[in-house]
Amino acid sequence: MSNVNAGTATALPSGVRSAARFVFDWIPLAIVTLLWEFASGTAVPAEVLPAPSVVAGEIRELLVTGEVFSHLFISLFRISVGLGLSIAAGVLLGIGMARLDPVENFFEVLLALTYPIPKTALVPLAILWLGVGTRTAILIVFLACLLPIVMNAYNAASDVDQNLVWSAKMMGTEGRRLFWKVIIPATIPEILTGVRQAIPIAFIALVSAELIASNQGIGYLILTAGQVGNYPTMFANIVIISAVAYFAVRGFEIGRERGLVWT
Amino acid sequence: MDGNVTISNLEKVYDDGSERTTAVEDLTFDIDAGEFVSVVGPSGCGKSTLLYLLAGFLDETSGTIEVDGTPIDGPGTDRGVVFQDYALFPWRTVMENVTYGLEEQDMGKEERRSTAQQYIDMMDLSGFEDNYPKELSGGMKQRVGLARTLAYGPKILLMDEPFGALDQPLREDLQDQLLDIWGDLDKTVVFVTHDVEEAVYLSDSVMVMTRHPGTKKTVTDVDIDRSKSRADIITSDEFTETKNEVWRSLREETQSGVQP
Repeated sequence: MSNVNAGTATALPSGVRSAARFVFDWIPLAIVTLLWEFASGTAVPAEVLPAPSVVAGEIRELLVTGEVFSHLFISLFRISVGLGLSIAAGVLLGIGMARLDPVENFFEVLLALTYPIPKTALVPLAILWLGVGTRTAILIVFLACLLPIVMNAYNAASDVDQNLVWSAKMMGTEGRRLFWKVIIPATIPEILTGVRQAIPIAFIALVSAELIASNQGIGYLILTAGQVGNYPTMFANIVIISAVAYFAVRGFEIGRERGLVWT
Repeated sequence: MDGNVTISNLEKVYDDGSERTTAVEDLTFDIDAGEFVSVVGPSGCGKSTLLYLLAGFLDETSGTIEVDGTPIDGPGTDRGVVFQDYALFPWRTVMENVTYGLEEQDMGKEERRSTAQQYIDMMDLSGFEDNYPKELSGGMKQRVGLARTLAYGPKILLMDEPFGALDQPLREDLQDQLLDIWGDLDKTVVFVTHDVEEAVYLSDSVMVMTRHPGTKKTVTDVDIDRSKSRADIITSDEFTETKNEVWRSLREETQSGVQP
């Protein structure tokens, strides 16, 4: 087949194009990693900035020995529970505030006042209530994620197209059924946007809490490695949790796109 | 036959605490079962308010609206609203939109689908059952809107400038489709529009509303031979005369509002 014209010359197969796209996306990271590799041991002493190759070896070590998995599992468990609770509470609260005046009046000022508080500043208090460990980490993740989820659910539920609600009422939908059949589906895209915003926040809150108030988890590993000056291990754990957070966000985005074919 | 609407001394005042605005005032009007009535008026005359009062979305300040002798109490399945912006459920496919009202009547799944399919076919939507609204053109969305409303069997159709967002050829297609359906299904129709030609072409009678506050100004009966083609109707003397009569009545209202 030789009937190639000027137009098809640029029209690469989509597989090739997405591969090219992938390479372009990762070039900046590759450049930084290379510079870091060269800087370590030359511009900066290798002891305080271990080279990426050294860190990579350490990551391999952690993964092969399986040492990291029990901590990673604990961290992911805390994130899942904290985020899950904040989704459940945040969606109910956000939609409740949007649709019911008493709920809005009660929580509006409360949320406005607590919004600017850095949730990690509450770790010492959380330790006092719940002790060092999983429950404190869950509480901090929960609090940190709650607001983005509440705000997105609240805005979406406030803006549900009046005509959709009227249409449903005309066809006989009332009360709680209206909530399940119209309000919830109409707000789902924004709820998922809130969850998407909350995932990185959850990781930040988790590691912060584990640095202070835990004997387990990736944050704990980072802290203990740092305290004894084992910087390659410290970096390795930072890279591992960053990668996990990245894939959590990407996985969620892909799932959302597949799930919301109608948007 | 069911579907009589009796409007008596209807008044609607919007009160936002500091200001009272009378949207509809002292409106008395009867619509017979099976009649097609259009409501035209200058923008802001309260014609949409009237439609939403009929739908039960808004509560009247005083006066009554009765359907077959019973005062209406909020929205109900004896009436169906078709909106200008379609108001389809975006998360439901065409089929699922059309079955919605039937679900609410607890109809079984098989029966629901076969009933919905009739109206989908009637509106020329066959083949699009599994598409989502975002995948459809404006004209198709409005046909889904009509199918969804017709499927659950309201006696009265309340239409709020349903073709206002469509371009002229599409409007005409949908107008003719609506007339066919109306001829077949014996529905009472209240059709709000600002397009005089559309109103006269579709209706048995056209009510012109006054500017502000809105009330009945004139009611013009339309007497045209509906067996004729669109082209013959539009160019006929009866049609032109009726259209001019409505237009003059409406013109007085739009002119009266122009400040020097």
